[in-house]
Amino acid sequence: MFPTALRDLSASLAAWRLWSLLGWLEIRQRYARSQLGPFWLTISMGVIVGTIGLVYGTLFGQDMENYLPMLGIGLVFWSLLVSIINEGCTAYISSSGYIRQTSTPKLLFMLQVGWRNILIFMHNFLIVIVLLTVFGSKDWATFPLFIPGLMLFILNALWMGQVVGIISARFRDLPQIVASLLQVAFYVTPILFPPGMLDRHRWVLDYNPFAYLLDLVREPLIGHAPSLATWMIGGTMAATGWLLALALTERCLKRIPYWI
Amino acid sequence: MSSILLENVSVDLPVFEVGGRSLKKRLASLGRRNRIAEGDDGVVVVHALDNLSLSLVEGDRVGLVGHNGAGKSTLLRVLAGIYPPTSGVIHTNGRVVPLLDISLGMDELSTGRQNIRLRGLLLGMKDAEIRRKTEEIAVFTELGDHLDLPLRTYSSGMRLRLAFAVSTAVDPDILLLDEVIGVGDASFMEKAEARMRALHSRAQIVVLASHSHEVIQKMCNKVLWMERGRIRAFGEADAITAQYVAGNTSGATPQVQAQPQSPAVHPVRT
Repeated sequence: MFPTALRDLSASLAAWRLWSLLGWLEIRQRYARSQLGPFWLTISMGVIVGTIGLVYGTLFGQDMENYLPMLGIGLVFWSLLVSIINEGCTAYISSSGYIRQTSTPKLLFMLQVGWRNILIFMHNFLIVIVLLTVFGSKDWATFPLFIPGLMLFILNALWMGQVVGIISARFRDLPQIVASLLQVAFYVTPILFPPGMLDRHRWVLDYNPFAYLLDLVREPLIGHAPSLATWMIGGTMAATGWLLALALTERCLKRIPYWI
Repeated sequence: MSSILLENVSVDLPVFEVGGRSLKKRLASLGRRNRIAEGDDGVVVVHALDNLSLSLVEGDRVGLVGHNGAGKSTLLRVLAGIYPPTSGVIHTNGRVVPLLDISLGMDELSTGRQNIRLRGLLLGMKDAEIRRKTEEIAVFTELGDHLDLPLRTYSSGMRLRLAFAVSTAVDPDILLLDEVIGVGDASFMEKAEARMRALHSRAQIVVLASHSHEVIQKMCNKVLWMERGRIRAFGEADAITAQYVAGNTSGATPQVQAQPQSPAVHPVRT
């Protein structure tokens, strides 16, 4: 099944030196000569968490002890997901210089996007650490579940990035469409509001795949074990998503150099 | 044993800027399944290579000749594995190194040494191989301490030296060259030529596109004459070069001749 795509995937994984280097270079280019570099993102994220936490926490009548960790952790992971998908849209388009000059495997450009955003996420993770130190977790025993949760989360983000990346190479309107849809998704996913507040319209959460993905990483950190259903949905999404991504890759891989 | 085998290889290059490419247009034309709609969303396609079959074996030093737009660069990209053929098959045995764009993969903010690694990785070198060759590359560039400064401080000549040195440090079985690369000042030019010759002799198969008959006579034992995406003639260097020169000087004036040389353009769906 999918021989071309799988061959490309394994060759891309083997070229980890190249994509990790390209990922670093991109970050360095963005923050050239700035003293704090990517920590500026951490600072701005911290300020957002503080202000939104204060305003919405008051608006929704929440106690800060529960609301701030929920909001802060949610925002940090949401920005990881969104940046992998949004930058996935341009993973191939913006690497045209490389793709049209050498015959490197193609998926490595998606891995580069993933790696780059994981590095930025590691900077942002400082906020999570601060929030957990200040407010603590309800139950530290659930903390180890965070590791498999994060892996599933990233696996899901990567297949989404790969799918939109390939389609965007051919149809250049998609990045804009994806960006606006993700904006909508942000407001219907329990990041600004705690899930319990939406009990009357429960279906908004039940049918929101992003809500489950977020639960996978946020719940273990806050001190709840994600439900079995959450694990199942996260796992099924990753499996079917990667099948879809590989099928699409199999079909379109050869056309990428012609499209970009 | 290196070899290249092309069987009925065709390459169609889609040109999206001339209509098409937007999802809006695709969706808008979904409902209308009549001829006009199809004409509307057809993407213009350039037949860059047309049903090309070719076999190259060890020892072949092939010069690619032909007018602009005859398909020389496209053929090099197909041989390099950059463009997978639209139809037909290609079999290559051996490590292919394309030197098509000398300025590929240079990072402005990285130092010269870091750029050696980046470009080496892009050209498919292993880390150990890069480490082994870095010193030799550094010496060849004559850039000295500049190698520890970021690339943005380099003059264009210095960049070329660095790029050339890394690109030519690889050990290719099959070497693909687009035009001959002019590098820096006169003294470096000589060094570059010597290095090029060494590279040339290390490789088992060389394919070189050039407009200079002198270069081709010096470096090639076979010549492939491309015309409108097809092979016009392929054989011994002297014979084909003579034909090519004769074909260009006799007959119609260059202006008139230029017309039919351009590749055929058709609107087709992709």
